[in-house]
Amino acid sequence: MRLGYFACLFAASIAMAQERNFVACPIVRDTKTVPCYLAEYEGKLYFLGIQQDITAAFHPPQLKHQVLVEGQASEGPLVCGGIPLKPLSISVIKDVNPACNTLLPAEPGIDAPPAARGAGPASHPLTLSAAPTESLSGRQDFTILYAFNDDYVEFASIATVQKAAAYATKIRASAVNVMGYRGTTVLSNEERLIEKPELAERRAQAIATLLRGSGVTGVTADWKKEPEPGDGKTDPSRRRVTITVIP
Amino acid sequence: MYRAFLLLAIPLLAGAQYTDTSQSRWVEPAEKDTLPSFDDFDNFLGKLGVIQASGPVDTAGHPFFTPLGTNGRACVTCHQPTYGMSVSAEGLRNRWRTSSGKDPVFAAFDGSNCPNLPQGQEKSHSLLLDRGLFRIPLPWPPRHPDGSPKPVEFSIEVVRDPTGCNLSPVYGLKSAQPTISVYRRPRPAANLKYVLSGAQNIVLKTGTLADRDPETGKPVSMNLMADAREPSLAAQALNAILGHEEAHEAPSRKQLKDIVDYESQIYAAQVEHIFAGPLVDRGGPFGLGPAALRDRHPGVLGDNEYEQVFGNFDSWKGSDFYRASIARGANIFMFRQFWLRDAAHINSIGLGNPIKRTCATCHNAQMTGQDLSAGWVDVGTTNYPTWTEPDTWAETAELPVFKITCRPDADPHPYLGRVIYTTDPGRALISGRCVDVGSIVMQQLRSLAARPPYFVNGSAKNLREVVDFYDRRFEMRLSDSEKEDLVNFLGAL
Repeated sequence: MRLGYFACLFAASIAMAQERNFVACPIVRDTKTVPCYLAEYEGKLYFLGIQQDITAAFHPPQLKHQVLVEGQASEGPLVCGGIPLKPLSISVIKDVNPACNTLLPAEPGIDAPPAARGAGPASHPLTLSAAPTESLSGRQDFTILYAFNDDYVEFASIATVQKAAAYATKIRASAVNVMGYRGTTVLSNEERLIEKPELAERRAQAIATLLRGSGVTGVTADWKKEPEPGDGKTDPSRRRVTITVIP
Repeated sequence: MYRAFLLLAIPLLAGAQYTDTSQSRWVEPAEKDTLPSFDDFDNFLGKLGVIQASGPVDTAGHPFFTPLGTNGRACVTCHQPTYGMSVSAEGLRNRWRTSSGKDPVFAAFDGSNCPNLPQGQEKSHSLLLDRGLFRIPLPWPPRHPDGSPKPVEFSIEVVRDPTGCNLSPVYGLKSAQPTISVYRRPRPAANLKYVLSGAQNIVLKTGTLADRDPETGKPVSMNLMADAREPSLAAQALNAILGHEEAHEAPSRKQLKDIVDYESQIYAAQVEHIFAGPLVDRGGPFGLGPAALRDRHPGVLGDNEYEQVFGNFDSWKGSDFYRASIARGANIFMFRQFWLRDAAHINSIGLGNPIKRTCATCHNAQMTGQDLSAGWVDVGTTNYPTWTEPDTWAETAELPVFKITCRPDADPHPYLGRVIYTTDPGRALISGRCVDVGSIVMQQLRSLAARPPYFVNGSAKNLREVVDFYDRRFEMRLSDSEKEDLVNFLGAL
């Protein structure tokens, strides 16, 4: 029992040790194919992702802006010269920072991982349609996640809103409740970043507007004024809006 | 029918100041004529073809050709077939000469730099005569359709006012009806099924609902006009008649319908290159000429290898010198990779900054090269420091300069921050948002040879200056011959 307790503590400290939550300037590295996006923290270079198209889950950071990185260092070989982070959430810090301007040239031996789309024209069509709702029934929750301090509804989230709207319309929902939240991020240096006070309301109102504009009736919007707590591990999952569709 | 003779001596040299050689056919408002199903018009790079898909049109009494306001203008005044259903600066200068400045196109309201200037003087119309720019007076703050003010994220100051209109106590920002005057090129009233296509309920770039057509309630493309302020052709026509034509009362529904029906069946594109000859032939690229525009479907994404924006030009690669040049230009447009950076509503919508892509990434709508999504982008033509204008205080400055200061709680412009100097805030004058400052809806890339100058502010006198801007802005490192290939390609559209 006691051994198990220590084993749990050990596992927890290992997990904590793998967290890499930091704010830094991103670094763009050119390759023979698409560019890689990286960031440096405490002397180590981390791989964030590669250039893709707007349908991809990873949206790259931006030069002229710092990036908030929330990830876990994973085992395995370097990718594009950096330690891979999985899972990973990145958020572009909105204020302009001209110092973030590092674009590295391609280097022999440093390649980007295979890309679904190269730097030229696409070789296959984009998927733009909302996910099907046939398999859904009863009360359903749909979750929209956000970058830190942001209420921009990204491409993937538009599909989630469309899916929720289609389901609510299909079952003639008696109510559709939208709940907005703002979050807290705990950095690896123990600093705590809290999202803007008005963000939970803005997120909720924006999603409610999208649902109403998609023909959904009975939409109500509410929001939690206080920020969600942070734990340094699962913080990105609490920057959210939930849509609850009630039959 | 309205053909001019061709001046074969025109040099097609890099950077040459192109001259409009057409014996311009200026359609007068209220003129009685029959416009044929197909007509062609000479321009500096060859011939433009214009198709009226519904057949010949009698102009007599037709509301597109009839003055419906008080200043003698009709729609056709600024949307002339000769100029690809727009109007060129050279055409306007010719009109000034032949009418001694009396043509209704020079109406004080928006055909001069400001209505309070002495209207008989050429310099009072300098922006129209030199750059083809009409004054666009917009209310500040912007208004909802019900007339209530929209919330805005920034304050705006006039820091330079060469026309005098923005500081005017009658017409300016501090007048009884606060107004911002910006100066813009008229867009072609042709190929409009493409401009109106691609409507989505939710705008990809903003994550917000698209505007709705007030008549149908359906979402609209938001690709109409430089700032997407009008949702439909009918709404645009109505406000153009009340504004540009200075009508005191709205046109009838029948008149609006006739205007929209007419505009919706016009297709315009280059049909002949001055040296390469006819551009439309069997086995050639599918996208050239107005008949292709008439026959193909809108809403097709062309940023791909299998169905390119203007078709595949490979069959011209081994052809004569100029066709081969056009094909090389098409190849650069589709495939030449460069660092696309600091362009709001491109790099800032999740693609990353910078990205390594091509011209067709943004100019992705098949047949027109607009953006298939609602396409306002700050490519840098209007915002300091990449703008096309001289320094703010330069004696040669022609356009007003505004200082935009964003509220601390607003999202700043993604690459210029919270204080922005601009000659035209673009979409931000409609949305009130800082992130939109300087964003302009992409234009279609058709009939370009017929309607210089280019960009929303008429700053590029010729296609070479367009290419030079992009080469400079995105460090494309194009050679002189590559630039000329791109000029030939763009001129063939």
